[in-house]
Amino acid sequence: MSWGPCMMYYHCPNCGKKFSYATDLIPEFGGDFGKCPVCHTDGVYEKEGARTLDDAEYAEVE
Amino acid sequence: MADLKNKRIITVALTGAWPKKENNPNVPMTPAEIAEDAYQCWKAGAAMAHMHMRDDNGNGTMDVNKFRETVELLRKNHPDCDIIINMTTSGDLNATEETRQIHLKELRPEMGSYDCGSMNWMNSGLFINSPKFLEELGKNMQEWGVKPEIEAFDPGMIANAAYYLKKGVLKAPLHFQFCMGCANGIVGNTKNLVFMKETMESLCPGSTWSCFGVGHSAMEIMYAAVAMGGHIRVGMEDNVMYAKGQLAESNVQFVARAKRVIEEFGCEAATPDEARQILSLK
Repeated sequence: MSWGPCMMYYHCPNCGKKFSYATDLIPEFGGDFGKCPVCHTDGVYEKEGARTLDDAEYAEVE
Repeated sequence: MADLKNKRIITVALTGAWPKKENNPNVPMTPAEIAEDAYQCWKAGAAMAHMHMRDDNGNGTMDVNKFRETVELLRKNHPDCDIIINMTTSGDLNATEETRQIHLKELRPEMGSYDCGSMNWMNSGLFINSPKFLEELGKNMQEWGVKPEIEAFDPGMIANAAYYLKKGVLKAPLHFQFCMGCANGIVGNTKNLVFMKETMESLCPGSTWSCFGVGHSAMEIMYAAVAMGGHIRVGMEDNVMYAKGQLAESNVQFVARAKRVIEEFGCEAATPDEARQILSLK
């Protein structure tokens, strides 16, 4: 039994951008994981879970 | 006999326990949808179908009647289909140890999954495979003639399989499914796949292996597996996205791509009978 990638969802306290990261990319991003892709501010964690169709609201950082 | 070294087994994991129509409207959910999808994937090149079932609300279930209905529909509607049936034993985190295996006893599929250890599941629940359960399941699968597909989410689960092999709970040759990129499991990348393979060869020599990567690692793991002599698993259980920003249209789409990759590399997709020889199923 598997369960697809686990996504973590954030918003930026600085510019308000909503974005997400997949936890399988923690090794690649290292300390940048969870940062806003626009202004590089640490994101505010909102939720996590499997990918859903409303993910379009969040920019996936890859 | 064909040159089996040049063959790669494509397993299609059709449904899994988690993705629903809101994740991807093309996920098969009912016995009729799953049976038809298995057939279409067989025609596209899959040699094995890994099956989960859903209840009427779309949640994972170990209801033996759902498994039975699916297999009966497949056999009745498509008697020419000789795809290897591989039934999960982990389709519902709340199932009992009994309901996780009764379908194997009653339906006797050629293969069944054997999750060789416990883990935190998706940071939200417990995926428990206790020593008592694994010992009982391993012995029962031997008695019922169901070959375990040993799902290893990290190297420790390979070591656990070696322990059960030495104890007689599992019987060689083993077949592993390396499950990579799942939350709380080993990260999916080529370096880790090499490590998983080498760990297996060290602890359980003579075993066969397959693998898949969820999410971003899906393609890397598939290409690496083909190059390293492994077999591959694809399907909506592991990935509802076909590519970045593109929902999968069907499981057939995944199988067709896997077959193309295998053939571009210079190998061939194994037929079910070839897969049976590779896996020592007969």
